[in-house]
Amino acid sequence: MQIGFIGLGLMGRPMALHLAKDGHTLHLWARRPASLEPFQAVDARLHDSPAEVAKHAEVVFTMVADAPDVEAVALGETGIAAGARAGLIVVDMSTINPNAARQIGASLAAKGIEFVDAPVSGGEVGAINAALTIMVGARPEVFEKVKPLFEKMGKSVTLIGDIGAGQVAKACNQILTGVGVAALAEAFNFAAKNGVDTARVREALLGGFAYSRILENHGQRMLDRNFKPGFKAWMHQKDLRIVMEEAHRLGLMLPAAAATAQLFNAIVGSGMGEDDSIAALKLLEKLSTPQ
Amino acid sequence: MKLGFIGLGGMGQPMAGHLLAAGHQVTVWSRRPDSADSLLALGARRAANPLELAACCEMVCTNVTGNADVAGLAAQLLEGLAPDGIHVDFSTIAPSVARAIAARYEARDRHFVDAPVSGGTAGAQAATLAIMWGGKAALAARLDPLFRCLGKTIVRVGDAGAGQVAKTCNQLVMVAAIEACAEAARFAQAAGIDFARVRAATLGGSAGSRVLEFFGGKMVARHFAAGVQARLHHKDFAMVIDEATRMAVPLPVASAVMQQLDALMAAAWGTQDTSTLLRVLERSGRHSLAD
Repeated sequence: MQIGFIGLGLMGRPMALHLAKDGHTLHLWARRPASLEPFQAVDARLHDSPAEVAKHAEVVFTMVADAPDVEAVALGETGIAAGARAGLIVVDMSTINPNAARQIGASLAAKGIEFVDAPVSGGEVGAINAALTIMVGARPEVFEKVKPLFEKMGKSVTLIGDIGAGQVAKACNQILTGVGVAALAEAFNFAAKNGVDTARVREALLGGFAYSRILENHGQRMLDRNFKPGFKAWMHQKDLRIVMEEAHRLGLMLPAAAATAQLFNAIVGSGMGEDDSIAALKLLEKLSTPQ
Repeated sequence: MKLGFIGLGGMGQPMAGHLLAAGHQVTVWSRRPDSADSLLALGARRAANPLELAACCEMVCTNVTGNADVAGLAAQLLEGLAPDGIHVDFSTIAPSVARAIAARYEARDRHFVDAPVSGGTAGAQAATLAIMWGGKAALAARLDPLFRCLGKTIVRVGDAGAGQVAKTCNQLVMVAAIEACAEAARFAQAAGIDFARVRAATLGGSAGSRVLEFFGGKMVARHFAAGVQARLHHKDFAMVIDEATRMAVPLPVASAVMQQLDALMAAAWGTQDTSTLLRVLERSGRHSLAD
C-alpha cells in the first residue's frame, strides 16, 4: 500500500517503520530533514509538502503535537487536502481536542476525504514494541480498511464510535492516568511523611483493591527515583488542558481532573516538564517541607 | 451585672476590658495567672477556678481556641452557674459541638449561647466586632447590652449553633477570598505585572472587597507577619471540611483552599498571617521564588 506519514518524532518514527517493515511504501514529509534519516534503509520516498505526500498515498497518517498542527498539515495551503485524491483516508494519531477532531473531519469530508481519529496510549516504548493501545473514531467501513495497518503498530485496537470518539476515549485515559499518578504521588508522600516504608506499602497494596498498573509501574519508578520519561509531564499538562477545555465547553464538573491539571501546571512551571509525570512526587515532597 | 470572663488572649483581654469600662463587675480566671494582671489592675477580680467563677456570676464569657477547650470549660461552668445563668462562648468551634453543649445546659435550666466574632484583634480593641449569635430569642434582652460593649454589628442568627454556622460561612467566604487574592497576585506577578497596580485598579470595580483591600495590601507590601495567624484559619477550615463531610455537602472550593492551608502549615508558616497563602503559590510553577 502507498502510505503517507507526517510527524516522525519519538512516537511517529517507530510507528512508520513498523508499516515499512510490513511491506508498504512510505511517503514522507518532515519539517526537520534530520527526522527522515532513519528511513534511508526502507522503501520510503521524500516529498516537499503534505500535499505532495497526499498525491501519492491511499492513506496518510499524522502524528503531531496538537490540534493547530493537525489543522495546518491537513487543511493548510500545501496541506493534505490540497493534494488528496477522492477517497483518501487521513488518520490522525495525535492527541487533540475531540471537538477539533470532529471539525477537521467535517472540513475534510466536504472535500471527499475520509478522516479517522486514532490517538494512542503506551508511550515511546509501546510505539517501539508495536504494543500501543489505539482508540479509534471512524465510520465502521473506513475503520475496517485501516484496521490491518493499526494492527502493525498496536496490540489493542478498538473502534470506539464516530469521528471524535477516539479522542474522547483518550481524554478519559488521560483523566484516569493523570489523577492516578497524582493519587499515587500523594499516597507515597503520605506514607513517607508518616515514616513508613513506601516499598512495603506498594507491595501490600498490589494485592488489594488499590491495585493498578500505575501502582505497579509508576510506583516502582517512584521507588527507584527514576524520573526519566516515559510520558513527559508537559504532555500530560497539555492533555489535561484538552480535557478541561472540553469539560468547560460542555459544562461538565471534573473536580479531580481540575485539581490534577493545576498540579501539572505546577510541575511544568517548576521546570520538571521534561521529566516523567511521576515528577508529581518530587513536587509534593518539596511542598510538604519547610522552605 | 456580675460577669465572668475566661480566655484572656489577644481578643479576650480587650473584650473583658470593655466590659469593665462599661461598669460591670468582672471576675476572671486564666490558666496562666499573669495574663489576668492587666485586668486586675483595672478592677477585675480573680477566681480560683472556673467553678468558683461561675458560682459568683450571672453570665460567663469564654473566648478560647477549640472544641475541646470549650467543651471542657462548659462542663465545669455548668456545675457552678445558678439556674437561668448564661454561658456566652465567643470562640470559633463546630456548630454540632455548640448544639450539644447547649442541649446539656438546657436540660439543667441554664443557657449556652454561641457568639463567635469576626474582626480580629483590631476589632476587639476598637469594640467594633461583628457578633453572630445562636440561642433562644428570649435571651436577647439580657445579651444585647453586653454585646453592645464589644461590637457594632450584632445579629441573632438563630437557635443554638446558628452563630457558629454563620462564622463557618464567614470563614469560607473570607479565606477563599484570600486565596483568590493570592492567586491573582501570583498570576499578575508571573505575567510581569505589578500587583500593586492591579489591586489599585480592581479595588474600585466589581472585584473590590475588604479582603482585596486588607490582605491584598499585605501581599503588595509583603507584610506576612500576623495579623490573624494562619494556623487558626487552618483549624477553622479543618472543622468546616469535617462538618461538610458529616452533612454530606460538597464544598469544592473550600477543599481546594484547605489544601493550600495544609501546604502553608507544612512550610512551617502557621504563625504568619494568612496572606502567606501567596508564598505557598510562589513555591511552585513558573518563575517560582527560590527556596
